[in-house]
Amino acid sequence: MVDSHATLVAIAMMALIVYLTRMTGYFIGLQLRHIRGIQPVLEALPGCAFMAILAPAVRQGSLSEIVAMASVIFIMWRSNNVVVATGVGMAILLFGEPYLDAH
Amino acid sequence: MTTRESALLGIRTSSDYFLSTFIFGVMFGIAAAAIGIEGWEAMLMSASSFTASGQFAALEFWQAPLPLGTIALSVFLVSTRNLLLGMAMTHHFDGHSLRRRIVWLFLLNDPGVVNSFRQEAEVDRLGYVTGYGVSMMTSWLCSTFIGLKTAHLFAALDLGAVDFAGPLVMATMMMLFFKGSKSPPTPWIVSGGVALILYELGSANYLILLGSVTAGMVTAIVQVRRAYG
Repeated sequence: MVDSHATLVAIAMMALIVYLTRMTGYFIGLQLRHIRGIQPVLEALPGCAFMAILAPAVRQGSLSEIVAMASVIFIMWRSNNVVVATGVGMAILLFGEPYLDAH
Repeated sequence: MTTRESALLGIRTSSDYFLSTFIFGVMFGIAAAAIGIEGWEAMLMSASSFTASGQFAALEFWQAPLPLGTIALSVFLVSTRNLLLGMAMTHHFDGHSLRRRIVWLFLLNDPGVVNSFRQEAEVDRLGYVTGYGVSMMTSWLCSTFIGLKTAHLFAALDLGAVDFAGPLVMATMMMLFFKGSKSPPTPWIVSGGVALILYELGSANYLILLGSVTAGMVTAIVQVRRAYG
């Protein structure tokens, strides 16, 4: 059993770390903003981070996960509907696993 | 558009990600209850950290004695994308006092940033992202509470299959980015390619993130230099 004092310390530490990451990036950007043409570079960064997480996740994914990902991308491409895309993807994960990953 | 109107617009347009955040919140509540975190502690964590990926990362190591260093490092590593989100908003939070920007950055959130790029130029981006964040926070807290209260109902279920839900939601954001971008997607393609190569080489997750974001950034710089001649 984790004691309450240690828990509070951990929670405070987590909150501080997360908040600092949110604030630090913005202030680094403020230091760089005078550089000519930097705006499109900075605005490309979140997409690069998403790709850095997504590409290995798909590479190591099971068949049901790959099918779910392909479905999400297809639905987003056609409709931009986040709820339908996520719902279909989750349904494939939950109900497709026994069929798609059985072999 | 005023800051208040932009914040309300952020709240109004957040329904899609309100739902997906809600699902993650319920899962977090269930996971927190399963490893014995008190309800008020889990709620405090959700209210103060407001980070799905960081909180799930911390739960992985939640056992006595708490390994504070390991938790700090893992939360930092999964939160590094916040650095990039903050950098992306550099040119969009002008016109507000420094104090307001510092305080409101607490609510910086992925879908809010992604969707803010799709709004008209007259929308106040800080107001929009903050309004979006208020909505996400509401969803996150309500769903954490529900997850904690209903955890006993899910005790027998294997929720392992939905571990991949995080990348799915991230893919929806990537697609919004991709379709809304006025620049060619080359930096993102390069970034994904480098991430795959580093993964195949057996690199640690933080090296994959660092290497692929650096490659994407260099590509974007080359692209800009070409555009400027």
